[in-house]
Amino acid sequence: MNIQVVGCSHHKTPIAVRERLAFSPEQTVAAMERWRASYPGVEAVVLSTCNRVEIYLAGDEAAAPKRSRVVDFLAQSHGLDPPTIDRHLFHHCGPDAVEHLFTVSSSLDSMVLGEPQILAQVKQAYQLATEQQMAGPVTHSLFQAAVKVARRVATETAIHQRRVSIPSVAVADFAQQIFERFDDKHTVVVGAGKMAEETLRYLRNEGAHQITVVNRSIERATELAQRWHGRPVAWDQLREALATADLVISTTGAGEPIVTLADFLSIERTRKPGLLFILDLAVPRDFDAAVGQRPDVYLYSIDDLQDACRRNRQQRDKELPAARAIIEQETGCFMAEMNHRATGPIIRRLKQGWQKPKEDELQRLLAKLPELDDRQREEIRRSFDRLLAKLLHPPMASLRDESHNGTPSALVEALSRLFQLKE
Amino acid sequence: MLSGVTILCFAASYAVTLVLEVSRLLFRSGVRGALMLGFAGAGLLAHSAFLYYRAVENPGSPLSSERDWYLLAAWALVGVYLYLVYYFPRAAFGLFLLPIVLGLIGAAVLWADPQPYAREPASVVWGTIHGISILLAVVAAAIAFAAGLMYLSQAYRLKHKRLPRPGLRLPSLEWLQRINARAVVVAVLTLGVGVLSGMILNRLRQGPAGETVPWCDPLVLSTQAMFLWLLAALVLAKISNHVRAGRKVVYLTVASFVFLIVALGAGLFLNTEHGGSRRQDEQEGTASNQLQYKLDAQASGSFLKNTSSQAELAGAPLPARGGPA
Repeated sequence: MNIQVVGCSHHKTPIAVRERLAFSPEQTVAAMERWRASYPGVEAVVLSTCNRVEIYLAGDEAAAPKRSRVVDFLAQSHGLDPPTIDRHLFHHCGPDAVEHLFTVSSSLDSMVLGEPQILAQVKQAYQLATEQQMAGPVTHSLFQAAVKVARRVATETAIHQRRVSIPSVAVADFAQQIFERFDDKHTVVVGAGKMAEETLRYLRNEGAHQITVVNRSIERATELAQRWHGRPVAWDQLREALATADLVISTTGAGEPIVTLADFLSIERTRKPGLLFILDLAVPRDFDAAVGQRPDVYLYSIDDLQDACRRNRQQRDKELPAARAIIEQETGCFMAEMNHRATGPIIRRLKQGWQKPKEDELQRLLAKLPELDDRQREEIRRSFDRLLAKLLHPPMASLRDESHNGTPSALVEALSRLFQLKE
Repeated sequence: MLSGVTILCFAASYAVTLVLEVSRLLFRSGVRGALMLGFAGAGLLAHSAFLYYRAVENPGSPLSSERDWYLLAAWALVGVYLYLVYYFPRAAFGLFLLPIVLGLIGAAVLWADPQPYAREPASVVWGTIHGISILLAVVAAAIAFAAGLMYLSQAYRLKHKRLPRPGLRLPSLEWLQRINARAVVVAVLTLGVGVLSGMILNRLRQGPAGETVPWCDPLVLSTQAMFLWLLAALVLAKISNHVRAGRKVVYLTVASFVFLIVALGAGLFLNTEHGGSRRQDEQEGTASNQLQYKLDAQASGSFLKNTSSQAELAGAPLPARGGPA
């Protein structure tokens, strides 16, 4: 049984190459049809995301294509010259290929470690291959195992809980701990920085839709508000906007605080009761730090969030050995299962080979003992079955034990010769 | 099949659940959630069976005695805990609710009187209303207290910009504030019904043979103080438009738990008239009460109230004790 993967990822391949090798779903379907025509009997799954393009192959050793053939196939699929892409591609075989997929699906190979999208992308790739009838017994087992490993890593380690980008930490680790829901919250964006937009993306995913954009330039406010289906507001209405805000994201380029403590105290008098989450992403800061001391106000500066990201990164790195241990263990189990599965035909032949002599001897014995009733006959039959099972147990146990160290080819060969098992 | 259940069975289940909750702080596990649900569920089943057999064997149970009352309050809180754990498996509710549950069971075992309350025909209905409403008020106040503590813990973490600990995930401030406010409303309403029904009960008992509870009784006073405190918290939340109103209610709720402890403590340890003519019966040490006490002690497990049981077996009169508010 041969399992291999050929591909490239963000680790060593520049985006210029990755985007030329990427497959759209339609291109994947077309590529699979060409693959089936060229290599019938070889299972294939194409995983193409913005950070990686990988083709997983599985089949009999004899039918397994060489690396150069796979590189040619990838190059031809995109009208490229094979030598130009060859140096960008990696190639893993056997346990290395399995471990690689498990690492990818568990998000340990992602650009942002622990990001959850990759598992969905792995599932989609597998689903597409199944629909195109390119997945087979080995890839079914391989990808189902990959999903299981990813879930184990997510459950048994805290890697996925440790976010490392500022907007994700701001929303998931702080805003979501303050508010239960965002669809009834008023978000005020002060300024129009890129980080504010990135944070808005996360908030929109959580359901926030009442967005007000305040900017010194009403044109820029309108532009940003249109992109996010929000409402532009003139700069002189900042105080009114803050009085009704639940969340504030501030990213102006002002040289000094735009909201001092005195300003805030006067705004506070007109504010509705409730919690206020302020994300001050500006440098220098837009909000006086003393505002954060007010009750029910939760003010976070860029430094606070960077510090949280750093602590998350440290905690996540501590979880890596545990995650890698899970992957290593699951890879070992998967390979042992695959190797054991490879011995299936020999076990079947062994059982079939002994079944006939057992039946012959049983019939002979029962013919000599016609006085036996049905219950006694059944008892003798069961006794023969038990004897056969006990005789078969040692060779099968040896095959299973040997499967942990690789395909037990020598043992299979020995059994075939000893018991004269033919195809 | 479950007739042999003792308090130790479900108390141990809840204690194991609490240990599992605490272990969240130490390490991660994929099976802990299921184990917690399993132990708490098994405990609740045993707890329910215990109360059921008490109700079958003793008329008026499971609200016929101070001990039953405490056990029923703990049972209701475990029900709330299981509901929360099922719907919010990652939040550490148990760290805040289970100690209260174990505290109630501990009070039931160590201090609460297993003797049945005096049951006068005229006051049975009002007595039941009084007992149930005060019980619900205690459960609601305990939930409000736990939600308040979680709120303060979460608010402290967020104010200090600390990341959530993997094992100590808490619901959002908004959710905790809402649950706290709702629990306070329920506590005030049920406590109001409890106080009112207590006054009616007192009125019904007035007469030459009746024994009433004086207004200055420590249990009555502490219960009324708790009612007024919670009412003040509720009124503050309703009338105040100030931004900090929600937070103030949380503080008042957490403080109201002190009143709750005082009220329960007054019932357990102070010389109170609450509990009706039972006190007189206790002092007389009537044969029927002695027998009932023995039955209760057996039903509650042999490890309970060793000193009282020894005194009782020696034929000594039982100590005077008041019931819960």
